[in-house]
Amino acid sequence: MNDSIASDPKRRELEELLPFYANGRISDADKRRVEAALAGDAELAARLDLIRDDMAETVLLNESLGAPSHNALDKLMAGIEAEPRQVPLLARAQEGSRGFLGWLGGLLAAQSPRRLAYASAAAIALIALQGVAITGLALRDGGPGFQTASAPGTRPSESYVLLSFSPEARAGEIASFFKRFDASVVDGPRANGFFKVRVGDASLSSAQVDAIAARMKGESAIVSFVAPAP
Amino acid sequence: MHTESDEDLVKRIASGDRLAMKVLFSRHQVRVYRFVLRLVRDETLAEDVISDVFMDLWRQADRFEARASVSTWLLAIARNKAWSLLRKRRDAELDEDYAESLEDDADGPETVLQKQDKGLAIRACLERLSADHREVIDLVYYHETSVEEVARIVGIPENTVKTRLFHARKKLGEMLKAAGIDRGWP
Repeated sequence: MNDSIASDPKRRELEELLPFYANGRISDADKRRVEAALAGDAELAARLDLIRDDMAETVLLNESLGAPSHNALDKLMAGIEAEPRQVPLLARAQEGSRGFLGWLGGLLAAQSPRRLAYASAAAIALIALQGVAITGLALRDGGPGFQTASAPGTRPSESYVLLSFSPEARAGEIASFFKRFDASVVDGPRANGFFKVRVGDASLSSAQVDAIAARMKGESAIVSFVAPAP
Repeated sequence: MHTESDEDLVKRIASGDRLAMKVLFSRHQVRVYRFVLRLVRDETLAEDVISDVFMDLWRQADRFEARASVSTWLLAIARNKAWSLLRKRRDAELDEDYAESLEDDADGPETVLQKQDKGLAIRACLERLSADHREVIDLVYYHETSVEEVARIVGIPENTVKTRLFHARKKLGEMLKAAGIDRGWP
């Protein structure tokens, strides 16, 4: 089949930007060009739909890979213990970090408002999670040498879905949605605004999680994508 | 509550702070592990690689420069170590072994299509992409990297990033079509 986009250099160039438009990592100028093209090019818009499908499945695939066991941290800390540390070059690091912060500021400024909004909404949940993790680590860090406490097993103890919210969903509706489903965000936003959401404990069967996901999907004014996640 | 930034943690690591190392490890270990695992396809090897990656960070924290984010820096180190491992074990051989194990252990795209699950079929095809293609797809779709960051992590020009991703997507579409799912492209 003839690929009319591939044979047109201008459309091909825009098409190659679509994955970065979909993951939100595109400059404002390129974003405007892509959006203008999408408005009048149905074939290009269909290509974006394929990318979003593939992106959602890539996220689910990666989420299914689990996490490393505590052996990785044990090995790392054993290596650190065994290695005499050089005198730190703190001044150099500080000098480097000033430039880094400037760069980071520029990077944040380049993000889309929606992406920043997603990030802000998730920040509260992430900060709370991180606080728990840091506190746990701090409590375990007593005494000389290193000690890695038994990290939680990689077996999930809760049931999750992966979802993204409709751009039109309002904060109050989202809060009410979480209350109705007794659900909570545990991670996100991921690519394209996906959140990992806890919907119950591990006693839920996959059929029950499927049913919850299906009910959530029914709330299309609030949710644009939802699928059970490992 | 104040959350310490990655660069602040790296600064503390540069001064020999082990707790900062643990916090940074906890923050990034899962993503780095998944990135490596998708390349080397062996959980034990992937864990060894991430230990080595963070060991490099421990040794080089005082040389961290502002040209990239900590996350990009970690993925670039991880990528180099994973590919070095793949070269030692001969990539093709590893992929063949893995493809055989997939045939033994998991449903192929044709089988999952028969089960009427398009999402599963896409995931089955994503598993069967070449390492080059898996890598770029994962970086953009899962790790949410920009063109510039992929170029830095993989070590290729920015235009090559876009072209490689285009071909990876096209290959994915061809595999799905061969499995009976025609999405209109290619």
